[in-house]
Amino acid sequence: MSEFLTEIDALLAASEAAFSAAEDAESLEAARIDFLGAKKGRLKSVQKLLGGVPKEDKPAAGKRLNEVKGLIQAAFEASQQRIAAPANDAAITEAFDPSLPGATTRIGKLHPITQTIEELTDIMGRLGFSVALGPEVEDERHNSEALNISLEHPARDPLDNFYLSTARKNTAKNNTAPNNKNTAASGGATLIRSQTSTVQIRVMENTPPPIRIISLGRVYRTDEADKTHYPMFHQMEGLWIDTDVTMADLKTVLRLFAVSYLGADVHVRFRPSFFPFTEPSVEADYLWNGAWVEFGGAGMVDPNVLKEVGYDPEEVIGFAFGLGVERLCMRRHNITDIREFYRNNVRFLHQF
Amino acid sequence: MILAARETFYSRNPRTAPFKRYGAMLVSWEWLKEYTALEMDREQLEDRLAMSGLNHEGTEQVGDDFAIDLEVTSNRPDCLGHIGVAREIAVLWDQPLHVTAPAPQEGKEAASKSTSVVVECPELCRRYTARIIRGVKIGPSPQWLQQRLKTVGIEAVNNVVDISNYVLMECGQPLHTFDFARLSESRIIVREARKGEKLVAIDHKTYELEPGMCIIADAAGPVALAGVMGGAATEVGPGATDLLIEAADFAPLNVRTTARRLKLHSDSSYRFERGVDPEGIDWASRRCCELILELAGGVLECGMAEVHQAAPPREPITLRQSQIKRVLGIEVPADETRRILTALGAKILGEPSDTLQVAPPSWRRDLTREIDLIEEVARMHGYDKIPEDARVPMTASHKREGDRVLSIVRGVLTARGFDEAMTTSVSNLEWVECFRAWSDQPPLQIRPAMLRGADRLRQSLIPSLLESRRVNESFANSVIELFETAKVYLPQDAALPNEQLMLALTSGRDFFHVKGAIEQIIQALHAGIAVDISPANMEMLDPVRSCRLSAGGEAFGVLGEVTPAGCKKFGLRGATTVAEIRLGVLEKAAKLIPQFAGLSTSPAISRDLNLVLDESVRWSDLETTVRASATDAAAAVGAVLEAVDFREIFRNAKKDGSGKKRLLFSVTFRADDRTLTNQQADEVREKICAACQREHGAALLAG
Repeated sequence: MSEFLTEIDALLAASEAAFSAAEDAESLEAARIDFLGAKKGRLKSVQKLLGGVPKEDKPAAGKRLNEVKGLIQAAFEASQQRIAAPANDAAITEAFDPSLPGATTRIGKLHPITQTIEELTDIMGRLGFSVALGPEVEDERHNSEALNISLEHPARDPLDNFYLSTARKNTAKNNTAPNNKNTAASGGATLIRSQTSTVQIRVMENTPPPIRIISLGRVYRTDEADKTHYPMFHQMEGLWIDTDVTMADLKTVLRLFAVSYLGADVHVRFRPSFFPFTEPSVEADYLWNGAWVEFGGAGMVDPNVLKEVGYDPEEVIGFAFGLGVERLCMRRHNITDIREFYRNNVRFLHQF
Repeated sequence: MILAARETFYSRNPRTAPFKRYGAMLVSWEWLKEYTALEMDREQLEDRLAMSGLNHEGTEQVGDDFAIDLEVTSNRPDCLGHIGVAREIAVLWDQPLHVTAPAPQEGKEAASKSTSVVVECPELCRRYTARIIRGVKIGPSPQWLQQRLKTVGIEAVNNVVDISNYVLMECGQPLHTFDFARLSESRIIVREARKGEKLVAIDHKTYELEPGMCIIADAAGPVALAGVMGGAATEVGPGATDLLIEAADFAPLNVRTTARRLKLHSDSSYRFERGVDPEGIDWASRRCCELILELAGGVLECGMAEVHQAAPPREPITLRQSQIKRVLGIEVPADETRRILTALGAKILGEPSDTLQVAPPSWRRDLTREIDLIEEVARMHGYDKIPEDARVPMTASHKREGDRVLSIVRGVLTARGFDEAMTTSVSNLEWVECFRAWSDQPPLQIRPAMLRGADRLRQSLIPSLLESRRVNESFANSVIELFETAKVYLPQDAALPNEQLMLALTSGRDFFHVKGAIEQIIQALHAGIAVDISPANMEMLDPVRSCRLSAGGEAFGVLGEVTPAGCKKFGLRGATTVAEIRLGVLEKAAKLIPQFAGLSTSPAISRDLNLVLDESVRWSDLETTVRASATDAAAAVGAVLEAVDFREIFRNAKKDGSGKKRLLFSVTFRADDRTLTNQQADEVREKICAACQREHGAALLAG
């Protein structure tokens, strides 16, 4: 037992001497391997002697061994610090400056439109509306016909839509347009959708009521790009179909949405409007900071639309509403030019 | 008045048009008083009109009068005249509307003897009436008439033209007056234009007419574009004495198409496009004649020359009182319902009960169904009476898997410093062809083109992202790391194209930086995709520093550094690495609800290996060998291979000779129930080395 203790005390003394003697990182490392090396270090060798200590002495020997281990490690670390920071000149010791900026990595930003869409989706999700998606290239049935938009309606004018020119030949019987070379206005034409209402039709065609959805995504209009117009933008539309949905429910849902979005109690008002796919149709405004702000269009789903998707308007009823995401985002963040969204200037993106 | 946006839910602020707003009929405050009392405050009137369907755009003072600008939706052409607006006011304030039937004094000569009307295209002209007045004296209109036209933005011309404009603004029915003496053979033919025909309109521009356009002709040729504009040759000028007064009903779609084709929009075409009151045509014609006789003199010939295909009578509409509550959520008293409908001009047939039979007025062709009547009742009763605090039943909503995947993808990319971009879906042919990873079909083309001639639906997001990169370079932004998630449109044999959601990236850093981002996305989704690599063979990408990625034989993505020529094509000064990934593959493979795999409390043990290999040996091949041998060797000592981690590659031609590389990697194992010994770890390491030597000629580097 005492032999073992002598041995480890000697080891401690030797290691302390060796570490103190080291003058640079290299010699210190050599000393470290000599004493603390994982395979052939002297501490390891001494440790093996513990096996020869009588059983009754083992607890005490083990305890001392651990102490010594700690002391050798401490001696090593002391020397390590001594070598890393020359201690002989206390006056020029580097001062720790906690006011320096922290270490960072660059974090990317989500596009403000995505941020807005995520917020809208969240709020509507809490109100029980799930997201439904549909194709962006659509046929006339889903973009217009099933939405009760007649061939005469200005919304179907070829010049107001981006029709696919590879679509089938013009088969329009009613189209009296002279020499109309466009396939536009023809029943089988396809186009990039001018509204996300298309998704409502697709969902209703494939799902029995009740339905509570929002559809979100890109839509396309033949607008010249300027500060408030862009030929592509995003829309959010909501649809709720059940046996007993009323305009009071519509007003309430829009108010709850506005309260969530604006974070304060607001009021909603309806102004009559006209959309082919809703009847009655209204423009919804909300009262915010003493002024009425346009929210978007809304209304009760037109019975023709319900019939078109195979529902019985005597059995089910519902409402729909829609709004432009860009406009909402611009108002919220005081963005004055819609074109900024699609320039993708990194400095713009990092403002949100 | 303007056409209310596009009448889709996305309404927009009206463009401030540099051109005259045709159809921008303003309402004169003084003029309205002719038909109903205006004892209310003007602002109150504007507000209530807005709340009942006529949006107030603004009001301007014109002399002693006010011009009130109202927005009229396309279903309400009845409000494109003062009488229609006055009727709305009368209903809102529950007061009478005064409209008297015009009764011009007729002479003895019959109009049908002076002229004849033939309609060759009955589908384009449902009714055409012509009245004749002889011996008028053309001169300026009286002051009151000029003043009213001025208020609503119409310039005075002469008494006859002014009167037809006045009646247009009064009742919404466009009229045209011809100088009767100039009509060849004194007759009217309504027909489609013939190829090669031309017309000099009253704006003194020559218009090339096309078959399909509806025109008014005399024996010699076209004299007017039906419903759009009259011709200069038959215009009523200072020398005119005899007039033919046209009041007609032209097909809306044809008028619109013609007006658009010729870029010739007028107050008249605006109203015909929306449909005129078929029973108001005769009223307007008589009213016009009455005013001409009064203000320009002359003698009205008896009767008129006319072609009329009477529309089939409209069926009365059934309105159930119970449906009003079903739709609105509130009760409207039955007598209020009846009052509103009657005041709007509808007739209630039979005895009042809970179910009404309603005959709508002829000027409201938009009212055909019960729901249309409910809307009328609602807007006049007031939408403010509908509560905003109904008890809305709760229901569960679901987040789409695709949206969950997208948020994880976005999270990884933003954490790695990528900013999200959004670019338009439409590209150009050159861009589509320079980066074809997913289809060899010609891109779908749209008409008209979108921005700067872009007319092809894109098949890759990368060209648009490179354009965004260029824009950022031009803004002197130093860090340009962008990604976008959006669809590409791949043509297929179905009616609609195959739309696939893509993730594209552009980075200023190298191949491995972008590859790492993709790998981290796979990890974050727990997608467990084993990615196979094959050559990209794309002109835009460096032939060596690029590859295609596939997953289980399915195309997954493409990745590579853009060649200097590719950069030049997009005007890029700096180098960039791009990648495009099919999000559909990730979505399918993602495990959004990861399962707990247990945690061993025993420590792991790892070993570094530093191998000298031929340059031609790929990491993926070596890794396969390492994994196979390590798995077996670990099993032999009761452990499990936990990881094979690539560390570093370097070269030392002096020591190893040329064509060799050194590959440093580590392997980690763990046993579930105990601590592995160094000896066991070394055994495994030996076996891995042996396998690598056997299969790849690897030599173990000492140390």
